Amino acid sequence: MLECRNCGAGAPLDEHFCPQCSRILALGRHGDYFAFLGLPRKLLIDPGDLERRFRDLSRKFHPDYYYNASPAERLASLERSSYLNDAYRALKNPISRVEHLLAIEGLPSARSEEGTAKVPPSLLEEVFALNEELDEIREGRESGEDPEVLLLRLAKAREPIDAKRDEHERQLQELSARWDSQERASAQEKRATLDALRERILERNYINNLLATIESEDSSLKSQGSRHERALSPKPGGLEP
Amino acid sequence: MSKVVGIDLGTTNSLVGYVDDGRPVVIRDDSGDALVPSVVSVGNDGTIYVGREAQRRLLTAPSRSVYSVKRFMGRGIEDVENEAALLPFGVSGEPGGVVRIGVAEQEFTPPEISAFILRELKHRAEEYFRQRGEFDFEVDRAVITVPAYFNDAQRTATRDAGRLAGLEVLRIINEPTAASLAYGLDKRNRGTIAVYDLGGGTFDISILKVEDGVFQVLSTNGDTHLGGDDIDRLLVEQVLSEIAGPKEQDAATVEAIRRAVIHAKWDLSDGDEAEIRIEPSPTVHAGYRRRITRAEFEDVIRPLVDRTLEPCRQALADAALQPSDLDEVVLVGGSTRIPLVRRVVEELFGRRPHSELNPDEVVALGAAVQADILVSGRREMLLLDVTPLSLGIETMGGVVSKIILRNSTIPASGREMFTSGVDNQTGVDIHVLQGERELAADCRSLAHLHLGGIPPMPAGLPRIEVRFQIDANGILSVGARELRTGIEQIIEVKPSYGLTDQEVERMLIESFEHAEADFEARLLIDTRNDAESVIHATEKVLRRPDFAAIAAEQLEPGERERIDAAIAELKAVIAGPDRSVIQEKTHALNHATQHLAEVTMNRTVREALAGRNVKDV
Repeated sequence: MLECRNCGAGAPLDEHFCPQCSRILALGRHGDYFAFLGLPRKLLIDPGDLERRFRDLSRKFHPDYYYNASPAERLASLERSSYLNDAYRALKNPISRVEHLLAIEGLPSARSEEGTAKVPPSLLEEVFALNEELDEIREGRESGEDPEVLLLRLAKAREPIDAKRDEHERQLQELSARWDSQERASAQEKRATLDALRERILERNYINNLLATIESEDSSLKSQGSRHERALSPKPGGLEP
Repeated sequence: MSKVVGIDLGTTNSLVGYVDDGRPVVIRDDSGDALVPSVVSVGNDGTIYVGREAQRRLLTAPSRSVYSVKRFMGRGIEDVENEAALLPFGVSGEPGGVVRIGVAEQEFTPPEISAFILRELKHRAEEYFRQRGEFDFEVDRAVITVPAYFNDAQRTATRDAGRLAGLEVLRIINEPTAASLAYGLDKRNRGTIAVYDLGGGTFDISILKVEDGVFQVLSTNGDTHLGGDDIDRLLVEQVLSEIAGPKEQDAATVEAIRRAVIHAKWDLSDGDEAEIRIEPSPTVHAGYRRRITRAEFEDVIRPLVDRTLEPCRQALADAALQPSDLDEVVLVGGSTRIPLVRRVVEELFGRRPHSELNPDEVVALGAAVQADILVSGRREMLLLDVTPLSLGIETMGGVVSKIILRNSTIPASGREMFTSGVDNQTGVDIHVLQGERELAADCRSLAHLHLGGIPPMPAGLPRIEVRFQIDANGILSVGARELRTGIEQIIEVKPSYGLTDQEVERMLIESFEHAEADFEARLLIDTRNDAESVIHATEKVLRRPDFAAIAAEQLEPGERERIDAAIAELKAVIAGPDRSVIQEKTHALNHATQHLAEVTMNRTVREALAGRNVKDV
């Protein structure tokens, strides 16, 4: 329950304005972005609808419209606007949407955990192959092999990782749809879906790290390649004063 | 109800606007000029000159005059050292502290100099409302614009300048967003637009989505040290290298060269060739003349213009958009008049940019609209801007932990939990930073906070939640509490590159003490302006093509001579310090031209009516 600081009336946690005096309510300890935006806890959401809700609530909360209001209302407007912006940002992106769902369903955070350090079992084979290839490419770069050839090898090494990521996106999509259809399912069934979602997110973080490693090697190779070219091209003429 | 205005506090020029009957307008002086040069000059008697008058004094008293102060707002000496060499005024300061600007024998902080400009704009607006016969013409509240890429220290410095000028700063808004408000007025359409804003000292790119009157910024990027000033400096350096010898590098000559290259730059916006021309002077005996073609000019400035491209690409990437996703590209800022800039923008975005509204005025118009929204409670339009830079705190090993990411819609908040490292620790130091780099040393230091009043507990037991709040101005505030005990923590903020509240208070008191002297100075300037407009009007009549005919037919013998003498006498005293003498001579000139004025007016009326039927009149 929230208590209106203006008239003292009680209001449900997900209300934004006092049902009695219609003043903006102070933001309590809110934690559920879905409820805040008036959405059910579902993962496949219509981006247009989300954006409309964000715009409509922005028009209700924004500090621009509380310039002449009491200090309490101005603070409430600032807090609700900030929270709305956080909520919109989190729900707009499908991955952070899943992460938020996991958090409010009480699962341990999937974000900054040992998940990034430990190789997920399902990826062992790919990671092993990639690391071996990356080591060789690096050595090749340092010993001055043709960057073009190494870049081709790198692109080839990337393919299975890209494929894994595509597969993950598909799985996340499927699991999201399953979660959305499980409204009346048992607690165990729901929990199984959430656990699976969490696993995919952890693996996804790992895959993204791998892709980042590949990108950085890619740009090292390219900068070496362009240095190579620059040395060959004629010097551009200086400015004539 | 007193008036609210929107102010564009620019690097080169500043403007003030307001909403008149639902329509934003900029306020012009009697000669129709809306731009107040952002130049401040201190007279020998301590008089403060602002605007055109101060700009004139840049040539005659360069060491007592300051321009482009915006580049120093919220900055430290280490940021600006390399550009200080060619400036006529001194720039100093402790490393890690506020820049001090030395003018004559005095030192000012950048917010104090900016406050002089804001006071001039406030005065201009009040004078305008008074002349319109408004009962309550006082202007004490304003929306002030800043570059979108301004960091927290630069925004806070701007707000402090407003306070020092006696203005309640209703809101700090970003220049490109303000421009989009002005553009969005006529066409209530929807779409994605990019605003490319290259001004006198700063560059911004903002990408917005407009729908249902909500102007939502998706991303912003820029460079707060890139603009027309840098172009001018390249050209000045070029000229200096051609006029050999160190004695030419005195402040007055550099200023004369700067003026000359600026004129050439303007000419090159329309023509293919221009002349940089410096009149002979004690230091440049023979004077200096040089033709510059547009191609040469473009070769010189190309690297600067190219520096705007990377921020544009980054902004597009942050908004997850391709150039082809944009519906419109809008140009803002005087430097977008340069044809090369237009070409580069067109190439990058693949479409011809818009520039229907005057690029110098559009930001002030938008600021006026925002001021009106705030006080009127009108809800048709809403600006949702973003914070340009990530906000974080320094953690172990000098690494930055980001708390609010760049391009987060504001207001925005973030939390971070802290605990104690040793038993019975009662305080924690927190270093707040802004920027995108990983290491604290590479980011902008905003403030050092000391968190005190933690109840004595074993190490690791306190759970202190520190809350960072960025308000709708893009300005940060910090709050904290210990969650186990619920005790609110005491936070002291030591701004790294800003003024403390006490300093602002002290400056406010000083400015009240100076108010009387300022008032006298103001009267003197008004008197001079009156005198100039009388001279100007008279000389205009004397130059009329039909003046010879008028003189022959209708003037008395000796009348022309009396007028010439009165002009000469007024010109002789106009720059002097005595207001009553200037008034007297102005009056005398008015008297001497009274008959001429009647004669020419009758003639003009007769000509206007000639050949028309009485019924049409």
